[in-house]
Amino acid sequence: MDMTGDCLIPAPRQAVWDALNDLAVLKEAIPGCESIEWTSPTEIDAVGTAKIGPVKASFKGAITLSDLDPPKAYTIRGEGKGGAAGFAKGGAKVRLEEEAEGTRLIYTVDASVGGKIAQVGGRLITAAAKKLADEFFARLGAVAAARAAGTA
Amino acid sequence: MHNFNYHRPKTLSEASEIFSGAEDAVYLAGGQTLIPTLKQRLRQPSDVIDLSHLAELRGIAVEKDAVVIGAMTRHGEVAASADVRRLIPALAHLAGEIGDPQVRNLGTLGGSLANSDPAADYPAAVLALGATIHTPTRTIAADDFFTGLFETALEPGEMIVKVSFPVPKRAAYMKFRNPASRYAVAGVCVADTVSGVRVAVTGAGPYAFRQTEMETVLSKSFTPGALAGIAVSEEDLNSDLHATAAYRAHLVGVMARRAVEALI
Repeated sequence: MDMTGDCLIPAPRQAVWDALNDLAVLKEAIPGCESIEWTSPTEIDAVGTAKIGPVKASFKGAITLSDLDPPKAYTIRGEGKGGAAGFAKGGAKVRLEEEAEGTRLIYTVDASVGGKIAQVGGRLITAAAKKLADEFFARLGAVAAARAAGTA
Repeated sequence: MHNFNYHRPKTLSEASEIFSGAEDAVYLAGGQTLIPTLKQRLRQPSDVIDLSHLAELRGIAVEKDAVVIGAMTRHGEVAASADVRRLIPALAHLAGEIGDPQVRNLGTLGGSLANSDPAADYPAAVLALGATIHTPTRTIAADDFFTGLFETALEPGEMIVKVSFPVPKRAAYMKFRNPASRYAVAGVCVADTVSGVRVAVTGAGPYAFRQTEMETVLSKSFTPGALAGIAVSEEDLNSDLHATAAYRAHLVGVMARRAVEALI
């Protein structure tokens, strides 16, 4: 499935870019994230709990950053295993554009799921993925804006 | 299914005490979503709190201008209730169309609402009729209750005690159901209430919502023709293996028209 979206963050592009590369910010933005750490300059390990409706699964994920074009764009890809629930992988191309009121963050997400969650949750996968993506970028925007306000 | 501690409290306060004292507790209402989820091991709670012995959560009562239904009332009981059929026939009809007889004999009003499945039927009636949701500590208006995909205004550990449905002048619920699950691919409840016409949609979006454009035109002219000019936007509607967002948008228009036709 593919999803696109964008949000306006009232902060300069460099500040948004820094936030996008700051683990503390990513930790706050990834829904249910409990711990997160760099394993190389472009690779991150994350652990957390995802909860959507009746389903609640702990996940372990590996995140990779690529196509780095600071401070304009990068691609963030993740692959997570949720134990008995199944697995999910997905990526987002993130682009930052300067605007009069701040920075517009534009994202294109592709995601796929497999295992039990895909079998039993077929009718809700897209809606759930959209919810998580929207939540991630909304929180990312909020944290980036708060940081920029604090450091300005 | 993983192991868990099973509780069957007799009072509301006992139930919430067990909930707050447990590591990761869930309430069990009718179990039509929770039990399959547990069996699939998609949820591993430490404690399951069965609400079936809480007397406060049962029963259907007629109060002034409203029908008050306990959260643990089964769909089948609502469908068969003489009071509901007489005062809000649309609600009895809706309850009688949920799932199959097995689901209707176990599934509950409160369970359906607290779960806020995007394809559940009850949320459409709760929104269209302008019902009030009662918890042990507060009341929540239907308009404030559904907040997202599987998300409601309920706090963790907060349960629904009962729901008060104001009696409308007239109301109808029409759904296009999935032939296997009987879930609403799209369902529309149209209610002509003392506070105006209310139209609520379920099944189509991430959660039940009101279609205010239809409310406006139906307030001026309560006829199927009044809906003709409205093109329902597919934006933010669900796409899945059963239907695309565009098809769901179309179904919303068709179901709304059928509901109005049933009322005139």
